[in-house]
Amino acid sequence: MLLGIGEPLIGRLLTYDALGMRFREVKLRRDPKCPLCGEHPTITDLSIHRDADTACPAGDNGQPLAPAPESAAKIG
Amino acid sequence: MKTLKEMLAEARQVVPEQGPAEVKKRIDAGEPLVLIDVRDPDEYRDGFIEPATNISRGFLEFRIGGAAADPTTPIVLYCQSGLRSMLASKVLKDLGYENVTNLQGGFQKWAQSGLPVAKDRPMNAEQIQRYSRHFLLNQVGEKGQRKLLRSKVLLIGAGGLGSPTALYLAAAGVGTMGLMDGDVVDVSNLQRQILHTTANVGRPKVESGTEMIRALNPDVNVIPLPTRITVDNVMDIIKDYDLVIDGSDNFDTRYLMNDACYLAGKTNVHGSIFQFEGMATVLAPNQGPCYRCLYPTPPPPGLVPS
Repeated sequence: MLLGIGEPLIGRLLTYDALGMRFREVKLRRDPKCPLCGEHPTITDLSIHRDADTACPAGDNGQPLAPAPESAAKIG
Repeated sequence: MKTLKEMLAEARQVVPEQGPAEVKKRIDAGEPLVLIDVRDPDEYRDGFIEPATNISRGFLEFRIGGAAADPTTPIVLYCQSGLRSMLASKVLKDLGYENVTNLQGGFQKWAQSGLPVAKDRPMNAEQIQRYSRHFLLNQVGEKGQRKLLRSKVLLIGAGGLGSPTALYLAAAGVGTMGLMDGDVVDVSNLQRQILHTTANVGRPKVESGTEMIRALNPDVNVIPLPTRITVDNVMDIIKDYDLVIDGSDNFDTRYLMNDACYLAGKTNVHGSIFQFEGMATVLAPNQGPCYRCLYPTPPPPGLVPS
């Protein structure tokens, strides 16, 4: 990315299954109805992040770092 | 005998010119153009336009083949004020290059328009040794290394994902690295967060990480940011970086980074991991989807482990 060489993962999600030792690639498309980058965005600044209850509390040390597998299933 | 004025007029008849704003637009659009700085190496080092290759005018005919093998390649030439490069562009036209443009007003006008310029310091003997394996790679080379040394990357999180990222980017010679994390090192981190050592348990991760990165590569200017990223500090922090790498451990931060990076036009490299499953993608504003295209809103608290 920094050197402007190769093919970055824009629009592609690369997943890695460390038990099955498999990589998988999922194409990702822009959502025209996306509230942030869609055709009629409703998020035009960061003010929604001031509502404390829209997000979960900050993670602690040693906790899983990421979306659970069910969110991965949604994409595929 | 022809005067300089006549030679320039002749060149202008066959070489189109574009101003700084137009050329910048072409570069930003990702057009595969070859940008050549035809000034002398010392002028180039003092400041140049990214991603130009420096081929002094005297060497142009000899080296142009290496920079643009195909005569249809779009080429843009510039010098200090736009005159030397106009004559040089004419030479390329005579050589058979079909798509040659001269940057009108040259580097001077570019810089005066407030457009970004890059600067190179000559590498020292230690750096030449350190990065010698990069020089062997055609796609990187000395030019790529200089670019890495000028690059500024912000790492959100110095944990499981941030650790290997920080170490590899530091080793490769990424010149400026912002390291942001509000946590302290816990002994339970050490089995995967390889930026930290047993001796640093209890210390802020950012301190521990900064020491490790400096020990690995003193070329890296580490900017320690020992706080959590928030709605109040995010815009001010990300504005200084070329690339943001989100290795955060919660949805709160992930959505904040997605929204802030999109609004600020910064590319956000996103990685996440759950148990044995890892994933990565690049969220580049207006070039591909953002995180909300995939998941419009964060999951309700408690549904997934944060």
